[in-house]
Amino acid sequence: MARVEYDHVTKCFTGGDRAAVDDLSLDIADHELLVLLGPSGCGKTTALRMLAGLEQPDTGDIRIDGKSVVRLEPKDRDVALVFQSYALYPHMTARENIRYPLLVRHMPAAERNERVARVAAMLSLTPLLDRRPARLSGGEQQRVALARAIVREPRVFLMDEPLSNLDAKLRTHTRTELKALQSELGTTTIFVTHDQAEAMTLAHRIAVLDKGKLLQLGDPDDLYQRPANVFVAQFIGSPPMNVLDAEVRDGALVAEGVWRLPLPGRVAAGKARVGIRPEAIVLSAASAETHEAEVLVSEPLGSETIVDVKIGAALVKVRAAAEVRPEPGVHVHLRVDPHAIRVFDPQSGDALL
Amino acid sequence: MTARAAAAGSAAVRRREGSVLEAVLVHLVFALVIVFFIAPFVWLFTAAFDADAKAYIRIPSVPTLDNFVRIFTEHEFGHALLNSFIVAGLTTTLDIVAVSLAGYSLSRLDLRFKSWIMYGILLLQTMPLSATMVPIYGLARALSLRNSYVGLVLIHAAIELPFLIWLMKGFFDTVPRQLEEASWLDGRSKLRALVEVVLPVARSGIGVVAGLAFLAAWAEVLMVIILVDKQDLKTVPLAFYETFRTQGGYTEVQYGLVAAMAVLYTLPVMAIFFATRRMMVRGLLSTSRGL
Repeated sequence: MARVEYDHVTKCFTGGDRAAVDDLSLDIADHELLVLLGPSGCGKTTALRMLAGLEQPDTGDIRIDGKSVVRLEPKDRDVALVFQSYALYPHMTARENIRYPLLVRHMPAAERNERVARVAAMLSLTPLLDRRPARLSGGEQQRVALARAIVREPRVFLMDEPLSNLDAKLRTHTRTELKALQSELGTTTIFVTHDQAEAMTLAHRIAVLDKGKLLQLGDPDDLYQRPANVFVAQFIGSPPMNVLDAEVRDGALVAEGVWRLPLPGRVAAGKARVGIRPEAIVLSAASAETHEAEVLVSEPLGSETIVDVKIGAALVKVRAAAEVRPEPGVHVHLRVDPHAIRVFDPQSGDALL
Repeated sequence: MTARAAAAGSAAVRRREGSVLEAVLVHLVFALVIVFFIAPFVWLFTAAFDADAKAYIRIPSVPTLDNFVRIFTEHEFGHALLNSFIVAGLTTTLDIVAVSLAGYSLSRLDLRFKSWIMYGILLLQTMPLSATMVPIYGLARALSLRNSYVGLVLIHAAIELPFLIWLMKGFFDTVPRQLEEASWLDGRSKLRALVEVVLPVARSGIGVVAGLAFLAAWAEVLMVIILVDKQDLKTVPLAFYETFRTQGGYTEVQYGLVAAMAVLYTLPVMAIFFATRRMMVRGLLSTSRGL
């Protein structure tokens, strides 16, 4: 159980043209599950590995429970890491893999066996304990890796895309189990992923990284409703937020030169970018507040339909009810909830409203 | 049209005839090569049991173990065998330790000039051993390493080291780094992680290194000649060489004795090969992928 702090941490790799992690500061509370989210190469894994002691920060400090750990060897940090590749010891059985960190700690045999048995039962591994990793399926290997991390009751769990090698069905299932497990154990957890759906479902808070920089830190609702910039807006949500070129003119927004939208607050006149979630756009009957647009394609998903419409040169995704399936070429009328409109700076991409 | 078809047909026939001839020639060449390599062994195993062995292959009229008895009673061959086992065994042990540490470091550390270091090591291997004979002799004398196990083991271990380091670096390159990182995070020091996780995973590589180190030390003769002149330290190749030479120059060689020694010299090597051949093949395949 521990609080983890990153204090202005920067890390460059030799040969890299920019910092892998650039002035990262995070304060992760005890019992919290924080997700580091971002595309590949954004620095999230490097940030995790620095906490584990597998990389050294160039500048800045990392603290666990107020004590700096940057000078400690990995073995002395008391953190457990679940690798994307699981990194199970191939020459040991599942039982020996799980027992290994306890052997290292010279735990008495009776307590050791009891702990291994308890964790194995918790993760339904009991019948598989005498198998080598090569004879376990991907999902079983993943659970052994998890068991090896849990069994020693570390101060912090680190998880580096532990679900990305599982097939889609098993991934969502394991995601749910992982969340339940974390809240049961209450161990501070840092979870790295590039999958925004995984981040949204698991996290207490999400830190979005891009090109080594922390773009936004907040709870999942915050990030979804009030993205701090265009990158976060387009990274989170499926389909992502529609972001259109726009102009603020006479107290109104004009997107793509054709679509007049209500302005939700005060913004200086001039160029801007406007962001609207697909579900904030409603297909409705024609009125003064609606905009007519041509349907390009309808994508039925069973529970809902995503309707792609053409606005000027841009394509806009609209979330509609399952039974709404306009044919391509049909004209529909769009209405937008003014409170759901976000306005971004055209240059920096930072949120203005 | 038909003429061309006929021409094509006869060309096909010619090609087929050609391929029959080709196959016969190829098989003939292979058969000759096989005879060339097998014949010495046939001679060894016939002459060793022949009381009156000659320099050509002949089936002994009365097979006898006399030659074997004589090499142990008259030529102290047992002592030479023991020396060879001790020297080759210690050389193998030393090589495994040195090669594990050096290969692991070269595989994992981010060193400046790493490729220069690697090429430098390879350059050492290309040096002809005989060119270093005189300085090694002088060095061994100065350090009192002549006529000692320590001197033999150090030299034998060093001879094969460059090549074995290259080989072992290749094996370590195929072991995922996450395995040792997992071990560190589980609480192990870097050295313990190497011993408990990396070496067991690279065990086929260790097997190959051990096999090659043992065989090289077992077969080496030049350094034994310059480093040993005491009878009780001589190894098999030296005993073998002396038996061959001292029986009245090269004219009256006692072929039976030489063959018996050669059989006992070859058998351990074959035993090692057959015991470890799977590991060897697996190891050599994995390193060719890793380099």
